[in-house]
Amino acid sequence: MKAFLALVRAEAVLLLRDRIALLLIFLFPLVFILIFGFLMGGRGGPQSARIGVALASGTDSGALEAVLEGAASLRVTHYALSSALEEAVAKRDVDFGLVWAGEKLVFLYDPSRVQENFAFQQLAQGIATDFNLRRQSVSPLLAAEKIDLGKKAAANSFSLLVPGILAFAVLSAGLFAVSGHLTAMKERKILDRLLVTPMRPVHLLAAIVVVRLAVVYVSTLITLFVSMTVFRVSFDVDWPRYTLFVAASTLGMMGFGTLIALVVRRSSSAGYLANILGMVMMFLSGIYFPIEMMPSVLRAVSRALPLTYMAEGMRYTTGVAEISGLRFWVVTAVFFGMAAVLLPVLARYVMVPERR
Amino acid sequence: MKGILWVARVQLVTALRERETLFWFVIFPVFILALLASVVGSIGKEGEMNFDLTLVNLAKPSSASVDFAAIVERAFEETGKPPAPGKQPLFTLHRPAPGEDSQAFLVREEKALRIGRRAVVVVLPEGFNEGILGRAGGAAAGPSGSTGGRVLVYYTKGSDASEIAASIVEQVLAGVDQRILAESGRFQTAASVPTETRWVGVGATEIAYVDFLLPGVILMGFFLSGLFGVPGSVLFARDRKILQRYWVTPLEVRQYLAGFSLGHLGLCVCQFFLLLVIGRYAFGAKVLFAELVPVLFLVLSAVTFLAFGFFIAAVVRTANAGMALANLLNMPMLFLSGLFFPVRGLPLVLKAIVYANPMSYLVEGLRTSLGVGAREFPLEVTFGVPLLWIAVCTVVASRRLQWDVGR
Amino acid sequence: MQDASSILMRVTGLEKHYGAVRAVDGISFSVPRASVFTILGPNGAGKTTTLEILEGIREPDRGEIEVFGAKLRRVTRAVKERMGVLLQDANFEPYLRVKEVIALFASFFRRAVSVDEILTRVALQDKAKAMVRTLSGGQRQRLAVAVALINDPELVFLDEPTTGLDPQARRNMWSIVAGLKERGKTIILTTHYMEEAEALSDHICIMDLGKIIAEGSPRQLAAGLGRETIVEFVADHLDPGDVDNLKTFGQGARTDGEVVTLQTNDLVGTMEGLLAWSRERGIPLANMAVRQPNLEDVFLALTGRRLRE
Repeated sequence: MKAFLALVRAEAVLLLRDRIALLLIFLFPLVFILIFGFLMGGRGGPQSARIGVALASGTDSGALEAVLEGAASLRVTHYALSSALEEAVAKRDVDFGLVWAGEKLVFLYDPSRVQENFAFQQLAQGIATDFNLRRQSVSPLLAAEKIDLGKKAAANSFSLLVPGILAFAVLSAGLFAVSGHLTAMKERKILDRLLVTPMRPVHLLAAIVVVRLAVVYVSTLITLFVSMTVFRVSFDVDWPRYTLFVAASTLGMMGFGTLIALVVRRSSSAGYLANILGMVMMFLSGIYFPIEMMPSVLRAVSRALPLTYMAEGMRYTTGVAEISGLRFWVVTAVFFGMAAVLLPVLARYVMVPERR
Repeated sequence: MKGILWVARVQLVTALRERETLFWFVIFPVFILALLASVVGSIGKEGEMNFDLTLVNLAKPSSASVDFAAIVERAFEETGKPPAPGKQPLFTLHRPAPGEDSQAFLVREEKALRIGRRAVVVVLPEGFNEGILGRAGGAAAGPSGSTGGRVLVYYTKGSDASEIAASIVEQVLAGVDQRILAESGRFQTAASVPTETRWVGVGATEIAYVDFLLPGVILMGFFLSGLFGVPGSVLFARDRKILQRYWVTPLEVRQYLAGFSLGHLGLCVCQFFLLLVIGRYAFGAKVLFAELVPVLFLVLSAVTFLAFGFFIAAVVRTANAGMALANLLNMPMLFLSGLFFPVRGLPLVLKAIVYANPMSYLVEGLRTSLGVGAREFPLEVTFGVPLLWIAVCTVVASRRLQWDVGR
Repeated sequence: MQDASSILMRVTGLEKHYGAVRAVDGISFSVPRASVFTILGPNGAGKTTTLEILEGIREPDRGEIEVFGAKLRRVTRAVKERMGVLLQDANFEPYLRVKEVIALFASFFRRAVSVDEILTRVALQDKAKAMVRTLSGGQRQRLAVAVALINDPELVFLDEPTTGLDPQARRNMWSIVAGLKERGKTIILTTHYMEEAEALSDHICIMDLGKIIAEGSPRQLAAGLGRETIVEFVADHLDPGDVDNLKTFGQGARTDGEVVTLQTNDLVGTMEGLLAWSRERGIPLANMAVRQPNLEDVFLALTGRRLRE
């Protein structure tokens, strides 16, 4: 026990002195949050798209105005000239545009907004339908009444994104933290020197794990705090479950990192692999694009990725989305299981003296 | 001259043989291109999306006339069929089994919606048919929200999938509505106003995402090799006294620099062609770089990031510090430039970074000259700011860059 | 008196300071053509700094260098064309092949021998296609020698050429140096190995703390001690009184830990006295050696310290 505590202390001190590593662990998610927070701020989408309109006064423009005003999820900006409107769409001052000169409804889209245009086209269709009815003074027979059953904390897309980014930060820290650190120690022959002492490799591993786990946990707290203060996002954190889940997923990812360390020799190569895996997972795990909008092949891949479940669990424990309680416990248990199985493997196969 | 060419050759060859450079500067951009082009490019396409939709029809068919609820139900059944063989239907329908208690089913489904197993739950309430008849019977066009056939659409706000699905449901309902109105003679479909879709900034065609993406990824490749490769290479060679071997020969520092830069630009050329070939033949990109202005921007970009790399090498003391600085600058410069995401609505601090960032101008310039982006800055600025960067970086580097392991 | 054209390089009043530290504190020497000129001294003596100034990669603060008949403040490109340099613990690009390294360096000079020829000369021809990172320490050193000689230089600098090499590799290096001298090259060599200096050099400069404290051929230096023979033995527990006693048997009695060193011109007399003393005091003369004075002894006599710390 004494040896273990000494190792913990040593690891902690080393990590706290390694400014560069610390910077990366803490700054990384923060930078993501800050950048995406501001970028997402004005993001349009089904919940509140911004439409620019250039209406030539006269025929039916009144009816069109009424339609636009009535649409709850649209924010309307008027432009005098259609050329000005085109520029606005291109510069993304508005999400899409509508030009009406009496003959036809021309909807303008920015072709580079690939994943969002589908939603805007839906809205455009709705406007057109509504307008056509009004012109003929016909009122719709059907009325769709949307009722939100979601959690209150999910105020906007950003509040859903933050847990996803936290999950990603935990993933990176976990994947690389232990295996990368160990392979680096191996390269610098520090590991050899430790292994010839009576110290048990398990203690070293446990010390590394404990220290990094603490650091990762603190970094998630800081990220949450920044999101809440800077972007006024509100979370409804279930602290016991949050802590448990962060611990489980970090440990699970550390275990997963073992597999990488086993396959790859040099610490820098391990870094590359971790990076690539991280990127792939980031895009396919439903953090940025809803899984439902992906082709079935990618959807299947998504369901096989740990990050998908980590993001889900983080959304759940921060109170922005719901999942079934059973699912939460099963996922948590699986992550702990991964750690329990893989970390000892790490101790046995990676923490061996370098063969000359 | 011989010396310069050999240094250039060595620089290029080493970069292509070394695992690190090969990965970050060649494999990684290709990987990003492939990942984004295949994932993002296929998002939101018809025949590829699929949402889980629950439909519960509680309406009592009214004896006398048409069962409107059934019409609505059939419309949704249509969406549950694949648009073409091998494609995904838009919705996967979930309905109560025959004989099952609808209310109990509904409670279960609402729970499923909350925990994300369904995107949207559509309920046709009991009085649906009456409502429609009531509407059809007398009321003139009035503000929406007055009694009509109410359809309850349950969704979860904040979930992209749910919101999009709800939006689609609204359109489906609007479509049914119009059909009913048309069949009953109230609505003249022929008198509808036509709609037209236009794509802004490029002409009449929709640009493929990969055409938007490819120039960005190429610039990202140049950026990474300049930001990481140049300081990494120079500082490594200096710290390990590889450079010292050169200085005891007649080779002069400026000759070394010329050769180094030449080799680096050669690497950029390799990156460019690799990405172009993959973009064109694997992902169908159509952008043509074979014109003067795009080529000028490519060269300008390569040189800008080369100079920036020397700048970094000049302001740090060791290779480790150089890499740390590069890591720190990497993400802000890539993301706050319009390369991946549009930079809208940023607070002043971040906006300042966007305007200071040479990448912002290079990306905009290249995309605009290829016809896949909107012009934001006047041409003089687009060329001018990167040139200014090159000048500043060159001056700083030539003053401060230590070619010796300091003593 | 040596005629001017037989001096390849002359250094006058060379100085280099780093703040308060005087790394090179005003040294002057002449290097005759087609000889091996060695600068010998412990680590930190200023040997490498001196060499770096002569190689043209460090600026002297003061002094004049005359080389190939031209008087210079610092070494120029034209001079570098005719020089070859073997640097201490410098590296090559790990991902280059051996022949690429040679070709690269060859391209820096106006005149260079062929890649194949130089590789054969250093016995690396089978490794021509191997990458630098796969070479052993000895092979890397041979590559460095090849690079130093690629332009067939008239003047060759070897900075600590055998440090860290195994005995076999060391012997190889010595034969390369001998071969160079045979072909009329002038060699300036630094080392802290006494045997190396003795075996290779025509002329030695002993440096310590930035200054030259002695120079001459190995024989001259040893003779400068003025003593013919050295007697050494190991004895522990000696009082200061004992040491004073020992001084009467020879000159320059010294103890260095347990090793006692005596210098003498009268071996027999010294031995008689020592044996008597040993019997009388009951102190055995363990590990006794009688030998010729060497450079180590010279250095010790001049500075009170050993060459290798």
